[in-house]
Amino acid sequence: MFDKRLVIVSGKGGVGKSAVSAGLSLLAQRQGMRVLAVEMGSPGGLSAHFSTGPLSFNPREIRPGLHAMHIVRSEALLEYLSLQLRLPGMGRFGPFARAFDALATAAPAVREIITIGKVLWEVKEDRWDLVVADAPPTGQIGSYLRAPLSISELVPTGRIRAQSEWMREALSDPATTQLALVNLPEELPTTETLETVEWLRSRQLVADPLVLTNRVLPELEDASTPRGPVGEMAMLHRSLWSEQQEWLERIDEDLQIPYMFGVFTPGEVAAHMSDELDAIR
Amino acid sequence: MTATVLVTGAGGVGKTTIAAAMGIKAARSGLRTLVVTVDPAKRLATALGVDDLGDEPQPHRDEPSLWAAMLDASASWRAVAERHADPEVATRLAENEFFQAASEHFPASQSYAAADQAVTFVQARAWDLVIVDTPPSGGGIDFFTAPSQMADLVGGRLLRWITGGPLPGRRFFYDRAARPMLRVADSLLGSDLLERVAEFLLDLRTTYDGVAQRGREIEGVMKDSSIVVVTTADPAPVREAVRFYRELPSIASTPAVVIFNRALPGSWMAAEVPADTSMEMKHLAEMWSTETQRQHDTREEFSARHAAHVATVPWSAKSPNSFDGLADLIESAIDVPWAELGVGPA
Repeated sequence: MFDKRLVIVSGKGGVGKSAVSAGLSLLAQRQGMRVLAVEMGSPGGLSAHFSTGPLSFNPREIRPGLHAMHIVRSEALLEYLSLQLRLPGMGRFGPFARAFDALATAAPAVREIITIGKVLWEVKEDRWDLVVADAPPTGQIGSYLRAPLSISELVPTGRIRAQSEWMREALSDPATTQLALVNLPEELPTTETLETVEWLRSRQLVADPLVLTNRVLPELEDASTPRGPVGEMAMLHRSLWSEQQEWLERIDEDLQIPYMFGVFTPGEVAAHMSDELDAIR
Repeated sequence: MTATVLVTGAGGVGKTTIAAAMGIKAARSGLRTLVVTVDPAKRLATALGVDDLGDEPQPHRDEPSLWAAMLDASASWRAVAERHADPEVATRLAENEFFQAASEHFPASQSYAAADQAVTFVQARAWDLVIVDTPPSGGGIDFFTAPSQMADLVGGRLLRWITGGPLPGRRFFYDRAARPMLRVADSLLGSDLLERVAEFLLDLRTTYDGVAQRGREIEGVMKDSSIVVVTTADPAPVREAVRFYRELPSIASTPAVVIFNRALPGSWMAAEVPADTSMEMKHLAEMWSTETQRQHDTREEFSARHAAHVATVPWSAKSPNSFDGLADLIESAIDVPWAELGVGPA
């Protein structure tokens, strides 16, 4: 993942996408890379793991070498209009931005192209060695990855269409972009992960995704069951472990992140996650 | 009188499992109970006897007091148009390419459709108790804000934004030469995209009266419902649970209980490790007692900070994906105010 320019992190809701994004960003920063962590979805998911309060549209340096930002669509839109479409001074047209935002809510792919476009723009600008995008969940990720293609199908002419071409190339180039799908060794997440992998293979929008299965319990080799609570722990552990194995077997090639015991805060989660990712690297 | 329980919480915490198990408990106590769910895991759907169900409630084969229905949000959104628009407009809406896009892009529309459908079941008065497993979109809050957001959408908020003024007629969009904003939008997006979006929104607007009135009915049912928040003790879902306690009192009502799922037994906190156990086992004991302590502290803090009624459902060694497994799971729940929720005899 570290020799790419962009890692897009997705997965079913509740699997730990933001924790993995934060851990990955911290690990890359520890390696001395210039890193940008981007919160694409609802505010607070990623920032909680950095314990830095809400993120804004302007990247802020939260550790030496690590910047973080939240994509605010209206601001991304104004920047898109002025930088990419070369319509200077659009910032003065507040009503226009609102109108466009409304349009983006109803029109397919426009909203997604503005968001993913901002991420790809940061990659293109060369300010960062690695951009880590804490992306929307798997249920929506397809419409983001497909946005550049959708736009060229939907909009026969216009400057937005022209912009969508380089975005398609950047997303589908395996040297540039890596999609990481965070998974859990449980029924619903694993099913959704497999469906997403299948969908992505059939569309060829990005290179094959990397599956990271989170909260994997270690195997207990000791087969004894001591008296009292410790025996109860051993029994619960074995039973959860064997259920997890059933789901782990369904993913061909995956990386496993161990269950974190006794971790309280999102900040601790991110620090642990960064160590665990370092260990499996 | 039909009692309603809305079960809410972040994705992946076992909300659907607990809603289903509560339904079994209620049905076994003699209440005619309907469990309304979205997208259950396959094994859970089998346990509820709803493998192949549409959104029509079906009775369980072994437990005749228990009914279940599975919501299909995309289909019900279509039903909203059919219910509130003229037949001609409804057909045009269904054929409009933005119709599907709007239901995907506007998560509230899926939550609205789910709420609309669930309220229809409550109003049918065919059950003593309706338990709704709410969709997790937008952290779950969407379900409760959907009626007002939907009324805003069809009421022309988007149109007013597009035009930057009062609601326009159809002609507005053909007169774009006079409006620089529309010209720019055209040059960016190509020829007629804006027009197509506008036509869609104008059609949608004809459903406003129906949607607004229905929204008030839905909100009424929500205010009369008991709310159950499900979470685990992990930081992310707890953060979502906090939002429910902050935001729901002003929208619907204060949650009756927060259920911490996958709770470990209190006796594990200071577990005595027998002297003759292996290093591996000692390490295991340490990990699980730390985890138990963390869960305990998280619940204590939540209860103190949000004046919440806290209950627990144990982390079961046996995955509760059978009817009996679900029944056992809910019987092992601790501190759930069943009578207050109307689950089981008062």
